Amino acid sequence: MDIKTIDHLCNLSKLNYTDESKEKVMGEMSAIIELMDTVKEFDVVYDDTKDNNSISYDEVRKDVAKPSFPTEKLLSNTQPSGNCYVVPKMVD
Amino acid sequence: MKLYPTIGLEIHAELLTNSKVFCTCSAEFGGEPNSRCCPVCSGLPGTLPVLNAKAVEYIIKAGYIMNCEISRFTKWDRKNYFYPDLPKAYQISQMPRPVCLGGHVDVTVDGEQKTMRINRIHLEEDAGKLVHDDIERVSLADYNRCGIPLIEIVTEPDFHSAAEVIAFFEKIRLMLQYAGVCDGKLEQGSMRCDVNISLAEKDSDKLGTRTEVKNLNSTKAIQRAIEYEIYRQTELIENGERVVQETLHFNDATGETSSLRSKEDAHDYRYFPDPDIPPIIFTEEELAAIKADIPEMPEQRVARYTGEYGISAADAKVLTDSKRVSDLFENAVKAYNNPKPIGTFIVVELMRRINLGELDLDDMKFTAEDLAKLIELAETNKISKDNRKIILREMIESGKKPETIAEEQQLWIKEDNELLEKTINGIMEANPKAVEQYRNGETKVFGFLMGQCNKALKGAASPASIKAMLEEKLKG
Amino acid sequence: MELKKQTLGSLREMLDTKQISAVELCKEYTDSIKAKNPDVLGYITVTDDEALKNAEKAQEIIDKGEAKALTGIPLAVKDNICTDGIRTTCASKMLENFVPPYDANVIEKLKAENYVLLGKTSMDEFAMGGSTQTSAFAKTRNPFDLTRVPGGSSGGSAAVVSAGIAPAALGSDTGGSIRQPASFCGVTGLKPTYGRVSRYGLVAFASSLDQIGPIANNAVDCGTILNVICGKDSRDATSANKPVEDFNAKVGKDIKGMKIALPKEFFADSTDDEVKSAVLAAAKKYEEMGATLVDCSMKSLKYAVSAYYLVASAEAASNLSRFDGIKYGLRGEGRTFDEMIRDSRTRGFGDEVKRRILLGNYALSSGYYDAYYLKALALKQQIIKEYNEIFENADVILTPTAPTVAYKIGEQETDPVKMYLADICTVTVNIASLPAISVPCGYNADGMPIGMSLVGRKWDEATLIQTADAFEKTFDRRYSEV
Repeated sequence: MDIKTIDHLCNLSKLNYTDESKEKVMGEMSAIIELMDTVKEFDVVYDDTKDNNSISYDEVRKDVAKPSFPTEKLLSNTQPSGNCYVVPKMVD
Repeated sequence: MKLYPTIGLEIHAELLTNSKVFCTCSAEFGGEPNSRCCPVCSGLPGTLPVLNAKAVEYIIKAGYIMNCEISRFTKWDRKNYFYPDLPKAYQISQMPRPVCLGGHVDVTVDGEQKTMRINRIHLEEDAGKLVHDDIERVSLADYNRCGIPLIEIVTEPDFHSAAEVIAFFEKIRLMLQYAGVCDGKLEQGSMRCDVNISLAEKDSDKLGTRTEVKNLNSTKAIQRAIEYEIYRQTELIENGERVVQETLHFNDATGETSSLRSKEDAHDYRYFPDPDIPPIIFTEEELAAIKADIPEMPEQRVARYTGEYGISAADAKVLTDSKRVSDLFENAVKAYNNPKPIGTFIVVELMRRINLGELDLDDMKFTAEDLAKLIELAETNKISKDNRKIILREMIESGKKPETIAEEQQLWIKEDNELLEKTINGIMEANPKAVEQYRNGETKVFGFLMGQCNKALKGAASPASIKAMLEEKLKG
Repeated sequence: MELKKQTLGSLREMLDTKQISAVELCKEYTDSIKAKNPDVLGYITVTDDEALKNAEKAQEIIDKGEAKALTGIPLAVKDNICTDGIRTTCASKMLENFVPPYDANVIEKLKAENYVLLGKTSMDEFAMGGSTQTSAFAKTRNPFDLTRVPGGSSGGSAAVVSAGIAPAALGSDTGGSIRQPASFCGVTGLKPTYGRVSRYGLVAFASSLDQIGPIANNAVDCGTILNVICGKDSRDATSANKPVEDFNAKVGKDIKGMKIALPKEFFADSTDDEVKSAVLAAAKKYEEMGATLVDCSMKSLKYAVSAYYLVASAEAASNLSRFDGIKYGLRGEGRTFDEMIRDSRTRGFGDEVKRRILLGNYALSSGYYDAYYLKALALKQQIIKEYNEIFENADVILTPTAPTVAYKIGEQETDPVKMYLADICTVTVNIASLPAISVPCGYNADGMPIGMSLVGRKWDEATLIQTADAFEKTFDRRYSEV
């Protein structure tokens, strides 16, 4: 676990760390990944067809549209503009 | 050094389901912002996607018409990235187990048939829409489109010109429309195309660096974007510069492509199986039933029109190039089993009205049955063929029945022998020279005299009866 | 009334025979919450006003003679289960002010019974942890010893039941989050078969492992609640279409001839001797009741914690990506979208949640996916296989619920690896989608409760409740003194 890896993970995760806290989390993540590395000893290949969690096609939801949700209620945990979610401008 | 383009496509097509692919909101186009949304498609915490069986049926149909292999086992994956039009911050898509694998579609370009290979077709969800507000410097997200079912058709890099791409795109569009899977409305974004282009010397085994032009939503844009990219890359290579592998946006106004500010970390989507959606196993019976339910494709219709109906290949193509037109024809034939005159009238007369913008088949005031009736009236000599046009225009205008219009405008063939005789006599008297010529064996003037009679009678007599009496009289 | 000793059965009887009204009962609990919650810190949100209104409504139904199993029964609900109009925080600053506009499926089912919601209980942030000390709002204490942790992540739910400030509660269990706190707090907790209870409205931690279940004073009470909350839900494709049965139907039936397996790896050196001997004593008691003890082995247990953390964190990283401050939750600042959501997430999530997100993205990222994530899925298949082999020759499996009793606050919850390893006894059950129940089976020298876990075949909660009940009837249970 080096700075480059942790920075990449922070990018993927959309998280910021100060330099100081980055050192700490790097140490923690190294220890955690060391624990995770034990799975590498285990020599079996994953076969997704054997997961036994599939369903048959007739169990899949039928295509019936139902009334949507009240827009105002949907947006009740944010401050919308014109019933839209607001983000910083995406293109210049 | 002649540079040769190699092009591959990713075509997104929205499916015509009633509800969205993972929730029960309406999948209709448009609507007030965030009015066709629920906690599921808006990505509220705790909500879960539930797959729509119809979307699965439609992608299987799409797969069959493109000659794909349908996977007996299929599953869904999450494609993770942050973007404000993607409320869950992952798109549900398919990675290692798409519904359709392999396939091919034949296209004819400049009289030459080519086979374009399909790599895969998978089912995924559409994202929302962003509107940009320059004044407030914000973007506004509307999630109505979130969760509209999409199929992504990925081709092999089998294309080498814009013309091939357009031919393929139009053919796919038509086939999807015929299959009832996608409405193909490009202006509503129902189909969008990403184009991958690279240039290399012909017969070189080394492929050039490719660029990807995203989100082209009209055939014109596809054509222009490809032509521009070929030009741009050629210039770069000839000037000894490098083509950068990147994602590009095509600007409709300038006709140029420009680099999209790359979605950060776009290259690591961290696909993994979506634990909320169980994989599906299809039985042979289920797949056979879906396959059997696929409507006739345009090529099959052309074959039927030319074979069974005796319609010319050219006319059959015109009739089938739009599913609306073809359906109108089919329904008219159902009402009046006389395909040839119906076909001809549609190709000649109806298509003209459509091309002139007078008629919109999506918003038609008359029915296929009315059209059939119009043709029947002419074929049974109740009205003249010329008057079909007048009546058609009125049908387009008012939606009145053809009989009503014939009645109101007095367009019935009256079979009034007295009027006929009188008119023919008058024409013959007015054109003694033509009569003379005919009698001297110059029978080609018959057409001229016939025309004069038609004009004078304004459809009050059938061409057959005019012809019979005129011939009689000319014999003297 | 001594609330701690009440069961759902005793409350039902009192309500139905009008010894107490639903409103009076509700007040008993809300009063005791006022008195004890400041010490226990089990609740994040107490909904006493609404509880009283619901109690009144419940009483009308009781008066009409139309009471169902949970009509007028006060319950607490873990704060990661969405409640329409009532703040649901997941114990995270991220959701401090989040008010869901809809109910979870389990809440709809409880409402249909006219239950009385007492409040939302604390937990480890986003259910990630085993101590409830990562809660941003209420670092719950163990009612048996307020200087110790209640376990987690459903530590609030376990503690309020243990303290008698709720007769039962809903929790959620992804890797032991119902069973381990139940064990630490000396109460009974049931993790149902994956798919038994709809997850709709449960804020997802690890979707393939999460399951809602009850924490109560005994196994029968767990069955009573499960009877209400189970069933296929059209909004959760992973909920199973199984007939709704009475999970208490086998209670009281003789367990003679039942085969109980003890996988030796669960009784390894890393497990406290006091814990081991309490669980083995319980096994002995079962033997006395006529059950047969079966020795068995689970060879891949040593990989289980890693496999679990890889799968759970990968799913969590993806599940928690939706928290960006735009649609709901703590909204950060920034000139660009990227800056803004990074700020939201950096400020909204606590350290442990961030570590799990980093780990999950590590396991999924290109170059590591095959080595970690796919290997974890392969291990999942192996663990399922080993469970199937054990169940070929056993009806239930008996293990400790946790290697230790509740530890002192601040003792180990700051060491992630130590915390993760402590989940060794519980995670395989989630990996294999099995049902399991944790039952108090003893007390250590300090008087701290020890829990044992009974693990059943898929969909066989009824046998677990039967087996757990058989033990409970012979066990001298102690109550917390808070």
